[in-house]
Amino acid sequence: MADVVLAEGYRPPPTVQGTWFAWLRDNLFSTWINTLLTFGALYIVYFAVSGVWAWGITNAVWEAENRRVCFDILAERAQEQGVDELTGACWAGVISWFDSFIVGRYPRGEMWRINLGGLLLVVWMVPIWLPGVRDKIYVGFSTVFLYPFLGFYLFAGGEKGLFLQVMMSLAIVVLIGNTLNGYHGVRTGRSLPAVVIAGLGMKASSDKKQRNTLLAIFAAAFALAFWAQMDWALVSVEWNLWGGLFLTLVISGIGIAFALPGGIVLAMGRRSQLPVIRILCTGFIEVFRSVPLITILFMATTMFPLFLPEGFTLNKLVQVIVAVCLFNACYMAEVVRAGLQAIPRGQYEAAMAMGLGYWKMMGLIIMPQALKFMIPNIVGNFIGLLKDTTLVSIIGLFDILNMLKAVSQDVPWRGLHKEPLVVGAALFFIICFAMSKYSRHLEETLGGGTQR
Amino acid sequence: MNVIKYLTAVVAGVALLIGGAVGASAESTLEIVKKRGHLRCQVGPPSPGFYNLDAEGNWYGSDVDTCRALAAAIFADANAVQFQSVSTQARFTAMANGESDVLSRTTTWTLFRDTQLGLDFTAINFYDGQGFMVPKDSGITSAMDLKGASVCVLTGTTTELNLADFSRNNSLDIQPITFEDGNVRNDTYLQGGCDALTNDKSGLASNKAAFPNPGDHIILPETISKEPLGPVVRQNDSQWMDIVKWTVFAMVAAEELGLNSANVDEAKANMGNASVNRLLGTEGNLGEGLGLPADWAYQIVKQVGNYDEMYERSMGDGPRAIGIGRAGSQNDLWTRGGLQYSPPFR
Repeated sequence: MADVVLAEGYRPPPTVQGTWFAWLRDNLFSTWINTLLTFGALYIVYFAVSGVWAWGITNAVWEAENRRVCFDILAERAQEQGVDELTGACWAGVISWFDSFIVGRYPRGEMWRINLGGLLLVVWMVPIWLPGVRDKIYVGFSTVFLYPFLGFYLFAGGEKGLFLQVMMSLAIVVLIGNTLNGYHGVRTGRSLPAVVIAGLGMKASSDKKQRNTLLAIFAAAFALAFWAQMDWALVSVEWNLWGGLFLTLVISGIGIAFALPGGIVLAMGRRSQLPVIRILCTGFIEVFRSVPLITILFMATTMFPLFLPEGFTLNKLVQVIVAVCLFNACYMAEVVRAGLQAIPRGQYEAAMAMGLGYWKMMGLIIMPQALKFMIPNIVGNFIGLLKDTTLVSIIGLFDILNMLKAVSQDVPWRGLHKEPLVVGAALFFIICFAMSKYSRHLEETLGGGTQR
Repeated sequence: MNVIKYLTAVVAGVALLIGGAVGASAESTLEIVKKRGHLRCQVGPPSPGFYNLDAEGNWYGSDVDTCRALAAAIFADANAVQFQSVSTQARFTAMANGESDVLSRTTTWTLFRDTQLGLDFTAINFYDGQGFMVPKDSGITSAMDLKGASVCVLTGTTTELNLADFSRNNSLDIQPITFEDGNVRNDTYLQGGCDALTNDKSGLASNKAAFPNPGDHIILPETISKEPLGPVVRQNDSQWMDIVKWTVFAMVAAEELGLNSANVDEAKANMGNASVNRLLGTEGNLGEGLGLPADWAYQIVKQVGNYDEMYERSMGDGPRAIGIGRAGSQNDLWTRGGLQYSPPFR
C-alpha cells in the first residue's frame, strides 16, 4: 500500500457539505449578524403568514346562509375563546357564487355545454403534447380553424345555418380523426392515414389510389356527421348571458389565436419592400399601439353604434373581440419584428441563394428560427392579454372581475368583497403560471433556451 | 381613472351631437321595442336595493322591477326584458346611441340632465337624500357637530359635491377622504380611517346592515340633498315617455286602490269599483291612449305587483331587501304623509 502524501496545509474535506444542514449554516447562520437577520426575517414571515392563515383557514366560515350568519358564527367563536372579536373569511359566499364566477349569467341548466366545450378543446389539443404523434402541425391548425365553430355552436346554440352545419360536421370528423391519430401515434408512432392504408392492405397501391381512398373515407365520415347532427339543435343562449371566467377565456382565447398569425402578417408587411403594404402595416400598428386598449373598447362599443343606421345594433361581444384581436395583433407584430431582426442577414441570403422564394424562405428558414427566440415575449404578451381582458368589465360585460365584484352587492352577501377577489387572484395565478411554465417547457424542448 | 373621465366627456359630447340628429329621424321607441320582442333596460353595476345580481345570475331590485313592469305592460310578459349593465360614465351615451330603451338606475333628476343631455325624466319612484353615518360612541348626534371631521365619500359623484356644499354653507371645514370603491370606503370607515361616512340614505342603511355590528353606528337625522330617482327616456318621444311614466303611476295607483298581485284577479272579476275597473281595463280603454292593450295595468299588478310589494321586496323587510322602513318616509303614500302620489286614471 502506497503512502498517501498529504500536501502542506491540507485539511480533510468537510464532511457535511451538500447537506441541508451545511446549506443552512453557510447561508443563513454564517455570522451572528446573519443569524440575527435570519431570525428577524423568520419572525416577519411568521407574523404575515399567521395572520393570513388565521383569517383564511383557522377562523374562516365555510358554511352559512348569508354573511350575517358568518358574523354570528365568528362572534360566537370569539366568545368561546374569550377574545373581543375574530376576523375570518366567509368562504360560504364564495362557494354559493362559484358557478357564477365560472360561467357568469349563463343559464345553470345549460352549463354542461360549457363543460363539454372545454373538454372537447382539451381532447382536441392533447395529441400536441403527446410524444410520438405525427402531423402535429395539422392538429394545431385544426384547433385554431375548426374548433371555434364547434365551440361557438355549443356555447351560443340556436339556429344552425348551412355554413355552421358544414363547419361543425368538418369539426366533428376532424376531432375524431385527430383523436384516433393521436392514439395510433402514441401506440405505434404511425399516423392515422398510414394505419388506415395498412389496414386496407393497400400499402403497395399507387399514391393516387391511396389518396383517393382516404378522401372517400373522409367524405363518407363527413356525410355521416352532417346527417347525424342535422336535426340536432341547442337552445339559444344570448351572448349577454355569457360571463365569468368562461367569457374571459373566450375573449382571450380568440385574442391569442388571432394575435400570433395576425402579428406575423403585420410584421412581414412592415418589413416588406412594397411601399403600399409597408405604409399600411406601419400605420395600422402605430395607430392601434398608440391608443390605450380601454379607449379602443369604448370607441368600439359606444361610439361605433352612433355611425350605424337606426335600429341596427351590433353584438357588443363581437365588437370587443375584434378590438382585442386587432390591438394584440399590433403588439405581437412588434414582437415578431424583433425576432425577425435577430436573424442574421446571412440566413436570408443563404435561403435566397438556394433559390427559395419569399414565402418558402420565411416559412422554412426564417420563421422557425425567429419564433424560437420570441417564445418568452410571445407568452408574456399572451399573459398580458389575458389580464387585460378584465378591462371589458368597465364597458359592462360580466367577465370574471365583474362577477367577483357583484358578490358584495348581492343582499345576502352584502359587503363580501375580499374573499371573491382572493379567489379571483388565485384563478388568474393558476392560469398565468401554467402558461409561463408551459413556455419554459417549450423553450427547452425547442432548444431556444440553450442558446442563452 | 382620469383617462376614463376625459374619454367619457369626449364620447358623451360627440354622442349628443350625433344622437340629436339620429333622434330626429327615429321611428318611435314603442315600435322598435315591439318589433324586437323584448325591452332593453339599462341598469348599472350592481347596487343593493335598486339592481343587483343573485348567485344564479338573475337581476333583482326595485329598478329592475320597474323595467319588468314596463315589459308586462307592453308584452304581458314581465320577463321580456334584457338588462344591460352600463358603467356610470357611459350611461347617458348608451341612451343617446339607442342601445337602451329606458334607463332605470339611480340617476338623480336635475335640471341640467333633463335639459342638456337629450333625455327626459319621467316620474319619481324613489325619493332619496344624502346623509351621514357615525359610530355611536363618537357622541355625534347632528351633522352640525361634524366640524373639522374627516368624512369618507365616493369620488366623482354628486355625493362628493353635496358634501363640499354642505361644508361650505355651514362653515364646517369637513375634510373629505375620497374612494373609488364603496367596499374600500366602508372598510376604511370601520377601521376608524374617517370620523363619518356619507352616502345616499338608502345606501347608508344598506351599508350599515352589512357591518359586523350594525348597532354600533347611527345615521344622523339631517338630509343634506334631494335625490329624486326614477326612470329616464330619450327626449322627443312623448308616447314612450307616457308609457314609462304611467307604468310607475299604475303601481302607485294600484296601492292606493288596495290592489296587489294576490287580489287583482278577484277585483277584476268582481268589477265593483269604477276606479279599479278603469285601471284594470274592464271599463273603458285607457291603454289605447298609450298604444298598449287594455289590460296593461292588470298585467303590471298581476306579474310585478303594486308599489308597496315592489318596495318591500327590495327596500323594506323582505329576505332580499336592504331594510329601510317605509312608514312615515317620503316614499310612503300621500294618504299616509308620504310623497308617492298617482294622478287619476280616467
